[in-house]
Amino acid sequence: MSDTKQTEDAPKKDHGVLYIGMDLGTSRTSVSASNGVRETVYSMVGYPKDVVSMKLLKKEVLFGKEALEKRLSLKLYKPLEKGVLKYTGDAAKDAEAKANLKAAQDLIGEAIRLAKPRKDELVYCVIGAPAEASVKNREAIIEAARAHVDSVMLCSEPFSVAYGLDWLEDVLVVDIGAGTTDLCRMHGTMPEETDQVMYDIAGDAIDEELSRRITETCPGAQFTIHMVKDIKERYGFVGDAPERCMVDLPVDGKPTAFDLTDQIRAACSILIDPIVKGIHKLIASFDPQFQTKLKNRVLLAGGGSMVKGLDSAVEKAMKERLGGGKVIRIEEPIYGGANGALKIAHDMPADFWEQLK
Amino acid sequence: MSGFKETLKDAVRQMSFRTSLDSLKKKGVQQVNVLGIDRIIALIEAAVHRSLKSRLVGVEREAVADATKAEFLRMLRTNEDLQRQKSEIERQKEMVEDEVDQLRREIASQQQALELRLEEGALSMAARYEGENAAIAAKVHEVLKALAAAGSSSITDAEERVMALVMDIVSVERQSADEARRALRDREVDTLQRRIKKLSESLDLTEQRLQSVAAMKSLDGGISSIYREVQGVDFGDVQAGKKKELMAEIFKANLKLQKKQ
Repeated sequence: MSDTKQTEDAPKKDHGVLYIGMDLGTSRTSVSASNGVRETVYSMVGYPKDVVSMKLLKKEVLFGKEALEKRLSLKLYKPLEKGVLKYTGDAAKDAEAKANLKAAQDLIGEAIRLAKPRKDELVYCVIGAPAEASVKNREAIIEAARAHVDSVMLCSEPFSVAYGLDWLEDVLVVDIGAGTTDLCRMHGTMPEETDQVMYDIAGDAIDEELSRRITETCPGAQFTIHMVKDIKERYGFVGDAPERCMVDLPVDGKPTAFDLTDQIRAACSILIDPIVKGIHKLIASFDPQFQTKLKNRVLLAGGGSMVKGLDSAVEKAMKERLGGGKVIRIEEPIYGGANGALKIAHDMPADFWEQLK
Repeated sequence: MSGFKETLKDAVRQMSFRTSLDSLKKKGVQQVNVLGIDRIIALIEAAVHRSLKSRLVGVEREAVADATKAEFLRMLRTNEDLQRQKSEIERQKEMVEDEVDQLRREIASQQQALELRLEEGALSMAARYEGENAAIAAKVHEVLKALAAAGSSSITDAEERVMALVMDIVSVERQSADEARRALRDREVDTLQRRIKKLSESLDLTEQRLQSVAAMKSLDGGISSIYREVQGVDFGDVQAGKKKELMAEIFKANLKLQKKQ
């Protein structure tokens, strides 16, 4: 389509400005928008395997939970891994990389559609991207989003969480995602490389550990990684068990009740050590005058922070290794990043948006 | 007045959505504040009346209130019309999808028939040739026998001559028969190919219609933002200076990233 035609077809954008904040995560992608919409979708994209499944599903592409439920009829993609796109930048040579890139583009498009933008509004979007994402990776995200919005910016994920809460100084954000746990200290300026630490022990690692423990301790139990993820999201805890975790798993086709309390506690506990290690590293290398303040302002965010008792367990471990500290869990773990990105979009001056159009 | 309240109530219900406590929990929501629908209606009414009271007096206020109600009802009717249009377009889309399926099935069956016909033609031709050859050989044999009976000196010579003669005739026959058959087959293939072409064109057309219907389906206009124009950092914010610096840094990093492309 020529530029002229595009200009003719494009609706006049004089109705208003819609800001969208997006948290593009390995497990979930969440959006918050200035029209009040808040949505989250599992970061999964599925395409019908053949004409028969296409006819059955009546869709060319499915997302999130729907894609997961219909996965037997689909070629299913999880386009993000350890917080970044499964894209090396050489998509022309690698069909799988190309397919993942397309899935990521479709996922970003779907996330923006979920925000229900009007055609006659300017749409400005800020996407929280992992601090470790490569330039190629960031370019791919920008390219995917550009097709759907008027202007787009990327920012560091942990930074957006802190910005959303107006905690800009002397705060340490621990963002526990599915692929990675990112720690970032804020001291009133943009965090640099030395202000950030990343570990790949996060939600997915808990799922793997829990799977391993169930296989070892529940003979004959049949399960998938998706079932394990559901169990973790329902019961995940560390420390004292708030309830017995009784879970039905099929054994030779028959649902059988298993008590998974100990397995879940042990699997979720693998988060504590890397978090405390990261906190220790960032505090020890901080200005000594402000170390105590930083220790008392540790913020837990991301889906992984929903593990019950994690704040107390990290505090306990900090007391042993650092002589104390205070850990606060954010109120909305799923939308913390998206809300922060939305706030950044709101605070960005008009001429900055214009220059990036 | 109560009718208007009911309409307002219906509108609020239509714009709301249902969700379960489990799904809210999964989204990380631990607690919710509950506000009853009657309370929402009362708040809207109170807000409108307070606003009108502070700005207008007497008859003018009543007139504005009536006009607002009338406008609200008109917007509701417009919304209903849009819903009807949307249903109609969705119905059309389903019809077109059925049509596409039908055409696809028809093309597949025509292609199958064509392949079958070609295979049958090849087989029957081979069988016919075999029969004709046998009949010719028999006839030649009879001729030779007749020659022998007549006391010819060299049977071989006679056989060669007769065979040459017969095969000459037969080859001419075959040639003409082949041409006739080929012409017939070509006509059939041509007809089938034209039908396939026509069906393919029809399929293309229907798919285009389907695409345009799918494009029209997006009648859902989206939800309006609360902002009419670009905002920026609030000057009343105690951290405004710091936030502006941070915004500038984010912008610089993005400018560098995006101008590289």
